[in-house]
Amino acid sequence: MTGPSNRPVSRRGLLTGGALAAGGALAGAAAVTAARSTNPEVRPADTVPVAQVGTAVEPFHGARQAGVTTEPQAHAAFVTFTLKPGTDRAALGRMLRLLSDDAARLTQGRPALADTEPELGLLPARLTVTFGFGPGLYRAAGLDDRRPPSVADLPSFRIDRLQPHWSGGDLLLQICADDPLTVAHAQRVLVKDSRPFATVAWVQQGFRRAAGAEPGRTQRNLFGQLDGTANPKPGGPMETAVWIHDGPDWLRDGTTLVVRRISMNLETWDLLGRTDRELSVGRRLDTGAPLTGTAEHDEPDFDALGPDGLTVIPDFSHLARAHVTDDRLKLLRRSYNYDGAPAADGTADSGLIFASFQADITKQFLPIQRRLAERDLLNEWTTPIGSAVFAVPPGCPEGGWVGQQLLG
Amino acid sequence: MPTHARPSFAGLLAATLTTVTLLLVPAVPAAAHNTLKSATPPKNAQLTSLPKEITLEFMQELNPAYTTITLSDAAQQKVSTSEPAVTGTKGTITIDQVLTNGTYTVAYRVVSADGHPVQGSYQFTVADPTASPDAAASATTAPTAAPSTTPSSSTAASSAVAARDTDDGPGAPLLIGGAILAAMIIAAGTVVVARRRSTRES
Repeated sequence: MTGPSNRPVSRRGLLTGGALAAGGALAGAAAVTAARSTNPEVRPADTVPVAQVGTAVEPFHGARQAGVTTEPQAHAAFVTFTLKPGTDRAALGRMLRLLSDDAARLTQGRPALADTEPELGLLPARLTVTFGFGPGLYRAAGLDDRRPPSVADLPSFRIDRLQPHWSGGDLLLQICADDPLTVAHAQRVLVKDSRPFATVAWVQQGFRRAAGAEPGRTQRNLFGQLDGTANPKPGGPMETAVWIHDGPDWLRDGTTLVVRRISMNLETWDLLGRTDRELSVGRRLDTGAPLTGTAEHDEPDFDALGPDGLTVIPDFSHLARAHVTDDRLKLLRRSYNYDGAPAADGTADSGLIFASFQADITKQFLPIQRRLAERDLLNEWTTPIGSAVFAVPPGCPEGGWVGQQLLG
Repeated sequence: MPTHARPSFAGLLAATLTTVTLLLVPAVPAAAHNTLKSATPPKNAQLTSLPKEITLEFMQELNPAYTTITLSDAAQQKVSTSEPAVTGTKGTITIDQVLTNGTYTVAYRVVSADGHPVQGSYQFTVADPTASPDAAASATTAPTAAPSTTPSSSTAASSAVAARDTDDGPGAPLLIGGAILAAMIIAAGTVVVARRRSTRES
């Protein structure tokens, strides 16, 4: 990778090569890098044996779809489709039967039917294929009355610079695996089998740390921040925040998904000193602890004052604006980083494929998003350039297909 | 470790130029940071009457959404004030409670035009002879001994303030870097002089 992670090292090399023990900011950055690698708090624990990564399997069939509360895999492709004019309720049924069959086989390490590259289907690497239904799918099926009310285009926010080619979509397939070749093959199979019914709207490919590189740790985004610290804890809190527990069988055990492409301006973020970065986020960069705490999951104290009378955590920080304590209001963030090719002058094309699962977009996602749009200092360096919402229907039993409760 | 006992002048020059470039790059945003220009009451003021409000003037326009101004007493207890009223480069808070004599800390947290947070603080002292004596304040407050240099009232004209600026933008590293750069230029000059001398002596 040619990302900014290499910069401190190469700069340090440059300076020492010139026989100059340079002080100041650059040596400081090098010292931080060195300190981090020896800090047992940050050093990763045991790693998964490499041989097991390829053969590991996540279930496909079940009451709920996989790929939601599944421990995030290293690679993802968010593939959305626009339904062709003739794709009605019956055609959607045929399409989803086909795609469910592909997913059921590939996720279990078996090639899809008529797989043209069957050898690529043998290593699932925890492959999951998660289906999401956009508002347009309900309209095409003539079932708009069955659409979860919160699955509707989001209101526009002051900070938005949305581009049509990263927005909307009638059907989403979230394809995740610990191996990028597995993701590519599954994407190819599923796109091919969608052709009679739909055209590709947009595809966003993203990554996190490699499988086993940092097991059990919150991932980092390309700003170096821990991303997802505030996720609901597994068990009761996750149940409350993510899953729909009542209603008709096409809603129960489903959830909703918001996908937003957030461009991150590394050029201006790079100019920000470490303390300023931490004030903007409200957390320490190394541990992810709130500025009032010492560990990542310490509860922030927004009333704590420094000796000069200012709150320790600025009220404009991302933490202060995004924080919720009630599990019913939390989001399960399952985001991936993206890193396109830099421009000729080196300007990065980097950012976050923000993906959040929640039982209700209106009650959970919107209040947080409104507070962030209003006054989150991180907006200075981030720009939403894509936005889409989907209902994630319940899963299907063996022999069934995703969407059968709605369309069958 | 080094294979060459003495760095060549060309190598030293190249390294110097590299370092100059690296140090100058962050200098541009540093200059663009917002800073406190003046304050009323000013830093270290000895006030003989109670201030009603505090006005801070900055070099750049303030964003009301990102402007915090606080006042706290010697015991680090927050004084009740209004939210900052922002007009252009100025932010004003009105003091909602009667101050007792003592030392007070004004703190601010604002955001530069480029989004960089800037924060700092300064102190002033209230020593109003007509104010009711306050045990906590009298311990930390000097008597009104030097009124000659003290503005006659809280409406004293603004004066430049060099407040303690805790912003850690590239400013501080730039100064350190500048010092290193100066040292290197001197070192490079020394090498040149030494080489010329050695040439002459040989």
